[in-house]
Amino acid sequence: MKSYSFLFWGYLVVWLGLATYFVVLMRRVSRVARRLDALESRSKAGDGRSAT
Amino acid sequence: MPRRHDTPLWLLFAVTAAAMPVALYLIFVRAPEELVMGAVQKIFYFHVPIAAITFLSVFVLLAGAVGYLWTRRAVWDHLSVASAEVGLVFCTLVLITGPIWAKPAWGVWWTWEAKLTTTLILWLLLAGILLSRAYAASPEQGARVASVLGVVAALDVPIVYKAVDWWRGQHPIVFGPGKANPLAPGMLSALLFSMLVFFLLYTSLVAARMRLAAVEDRLAALEDSAWRSQ
Repeated sequence: MKSYSFLFWGYLVVWLGLATYFVVLMRRVSRVARRLDALESRSKAGDGRSAT
Repeated sequence: MPRRHDTPLWLLFAVTAAAMPVALYLIFVRAPEELVMGAVQKIFYFHVPIAAITFLSVFVLLAGAVGYLWTRRAVWDHLSVASAEVGLVFCTLVLITGPIWAKPAWGVWWTWEAKLTTTLILWLLLAGILLSRAYAASPEQGARVASVLGVVAALDVPIVYKAVDWWRGQHPIVFGPGKANPLAPGMLSALLFSMLVFFLLYTSLVAARMRLAAVEDRLAALEDSAWRSQ
């Protein structure tokens, strides 16, 4: 195992990098989805006002 | 706090993350050391699965590209952009792990050997797909150009696969039609498990990127209609 330490850490770094990519994607999804929710509720409120 | 829609994605990612240390154990503890190459052969358990996943992403990209050109439905374009981006990440890893093996095996980091050159062309095509979207005059034009480039990228995959046979390259062929399986049992199980982990990771990443493309499209459409109604 000792002689593989360079490769082992290399593997781990790549996997952690790919895992970070997933987490970044999901954070972007939740940020955009929050903006979408806010815009949708604002446009619904606007529709409600114009209907009355 | 994850949204309800995102929970299956986080679950899939959790399963993948739990499988990663098992793959490391199989590769570094269970799989026997190869007699000629020694420690550096352990790259094989990484390089082969990510190369296979790169090919898979290009085939998924092809399905998305053809689907979009045929139907013009956004979901196909989301699949196409997701697989192109994730495919570029995996292709980059192929081009990094290859030279790490090549230096001790061939004595050089890089050579203009057929398989390496055609893989570099694949990387350039995938990068071109993302650039064509980023710099297109409109999202529709970007999607159209990227779809056509996606079909071209898919044509490169069989060329990469057959490059060694067609141009007598130096790149080793471990698997293929007519080749006996040269792997010891411990090696084969480590390779297959590593392939499964990378497949799960690819699925999580493509699903997450597709979801991002879908919510971004919805937001852009809503912002556009709000701007028009003002």
